[in-house]
Amino acid sequence: MGRLLEVKNLETRFHTQDGTVHAVNGVSFYVDEGETLGVVGESGSGKSVTMLSVMRLIPQPPGEITNGEVWFEGRDLLKIDKEEMREVRGNRIAMIFQDPMTSLNPVLTIERQITEVLELHLGMNHQQARARAIELLKMVGIPAAEERIDSYPHQFSGGMRQRVMIAMGLACHPRLLIADEPTTALDVTIQAQIVELVKRLRDEIGMSVIWITHDLALLAGLADRIIVMYAGQIVESSPVHELYKNPRHPYTIGLLQSIPRLDEKQRERLQAIEGLPPDLIDYPTGCPFAPRCRFAIEKCWEVDPPLEEVSKGHYSACWVKPEGAEIMHQWHASNTEESQ
Amino acid sequence: MTAYLVRRLLWMPFLLLIVTFLTFVLGYYGPGDPAQLLLGQHSNPEAVERLRHELGLDRPLLVQFADYVWRALHGDFGESLTMARGRPVSDLLKRSLSITLQLNAVVLVVSLLVGVPLGVFAALKRNTWLDYLTMTGVVVAISLPTFLIAPILLWLFAYKWRLLPPGGWNGIFSRNIILPVIVMSAGPIAVFARQTRANLIDVLSQEYIRTAYAKGLHERRIFFVHALRNALIPLLTILGLMLGSLVVGSFITETIFGIPGVGRLAFQAFFSRDYPVIMALVLLIAIGYALANLLVDILYAFVDPRIRYQ
Repeated sequence: MGRLLEVKNLETRFHTQDGTVHAVNGVSFYVDEGETLGVVGESGSGKSVTMLSVMRLIPQPPGEITNGEVWFEGRDLLKIDKEEMREVRGNRIAMIFQDPMTSLNPVLTIERQITEVLELHLGMNHQQARARAIELLKMVGIPAAEERIDSYPHQFSGGMRQRVMIAMGLACHPRLLIADEPTTALDVTIQAQIVELVKRLRDEIGMSVIWITHDLALLAGLADRIIVMYAGQIVESSPVHELYKNPRHPYTIGLLQSIPRLDEKQRERLQAIEGLPPDLIDYPTGCPFAPRCRFAIEKCWEVDPPLEEVSKGHYSACWVKPEGAEIMHQWHASNTEESQ
Repeated sequence: MTAYLVRRLLWMPFLLLIVTFLTFVLGYYGPGDPAQLLLGQHSNPEAVERLRHELGLDRPLLVQFADYVWRALHGDFGESLTMARGRPVSDLLKRSLSITLQLNAVVLVVSLLVGVPLGVFAALKRNTWLDYLTMTGVVVAISLPTFLIAPILLWLFAYKWRLLPPGGWNGIFSRNIILPVIVMSAGPIAVFARQTRANLIDVLSQEYIRTAYAKGLHERRIFFVHALRNALIPLLTILGLMLGSLVVGSFITETIFGIPGVGRLAFQAFFSRDYPVIMALVLLIAIGYALANLLVDILYAFVDPRIRYQ
């Protein structure tokens, strides 16, 4: 597997009236070909801004990418000119968004919105593009695609619209699909369908996927690796099973303890992470998670811990690096006792 | 859609009947007696009473109203009482309406052709000095009252520099029309420019515009295909109000520039208590607005696919 995307030391700032927002703070990660990377974090953790920075879709001003490199197919995307970047977008890297209700243009037909990508990037004429668009709609499971292609977005349900977004994203067979919480706005049953759809298409086309979500449970059957973001930093990065089995960052442990589980016999009390994420304008000097962390030691308040390897391919940015496996085990045990 | 249209059209006569009745009642109970006005203040009360009888003004309200509606349905709006005694109202109206319609149509086209591009320009250059300059100009234009700007322009262009004729009506392709059109367009241009700019800036921050960028589309296409159409839809409402006022005519502008349009006719009719003329004018304006509203609703269905009438 070759390396498809490598992001180094990415830093994104927003200049607002209240001060500079440190949205992304030295983020480095990679995606291999055919690999699916899950990105997890709560609202404001910088996961979306990181990916929008990769696509250079940050509105400037007020946003600014102040540092970093984004290597993709042998080029640093932050260095190429606007026109070259335009040819990457929608063609080599596609992106789909959270809310399919507002992400499609209300006054253009579905046909128009799909064919324009095909005509632009693949140089198809209108008939070819239309035929291909119908194929794409069938591929993502739109019934009666031949007729429905002439509909407008408001004539589709939420799930159908997200399918249209996916069809649009995959129109040019991108090498990488960035999915920014594509199921968050959908019903749970529809969520599962969309996840299955992307998995199937990923394997058929052989593309890589970056899936952004705040739902750690959703990634279990989808991602190969997961990175956990907090306050614009990566705090843990690990192969997917390793992360669930033995998380090594207190924040990840907290996230796992706050997922309701249906497979447990006894009902566990969910544990919320106390407190709020830090103010990204007045960025803390030590570990940004320290104020909410039950393992914090004195050093945590003074020096921000770097990402360090704890086992092969598993990194944690924590001075303490608690053994998540043990903590989770004890927690389950105590929960069971309590409920008996 | 057809059913909706038919329903709307069927409703219109009722609407007009209501408007007519209200105006009629106001005229009936309102101050001023046309007969007295015609004969002068110190006339013989018997003579006034005789004239009232001749004009049919001594009959009960409902009888007068029914009579009026019956005649109006046959195209007879009565005769002018005071300002042009004995001339059929429809004659007076026809001539002034044709002038006002032409003048206002030119104003509407000029406002759109100048206002919308100005707004697009300002939105493209938003938050630069070019944007601020344009929008300041627009605020000045909308703030200057007609009764101030019209005499100033008239004095400058017609008397001081003698570049343009001072007024009168010579059709829409004459130089006479330039000053009135400038005066009347200033406000609407400002409204269209501000609205276009505001809508466009709002639309450009929508998520579907980000989607368009993510697809790698050219900025030009994003702007003109994805953004502009969405931004122009709300302008239809303003356009509708303007279309309705097409038949109204500007009292001030038409009077200052000596244009014999509906505005001036209304101005004169009001001051001479010429009730038949006033009645007909009110009816005309009501028809104008009703038709304009209908037209705008139809246009909405064409430009915004989310709107469907049943």
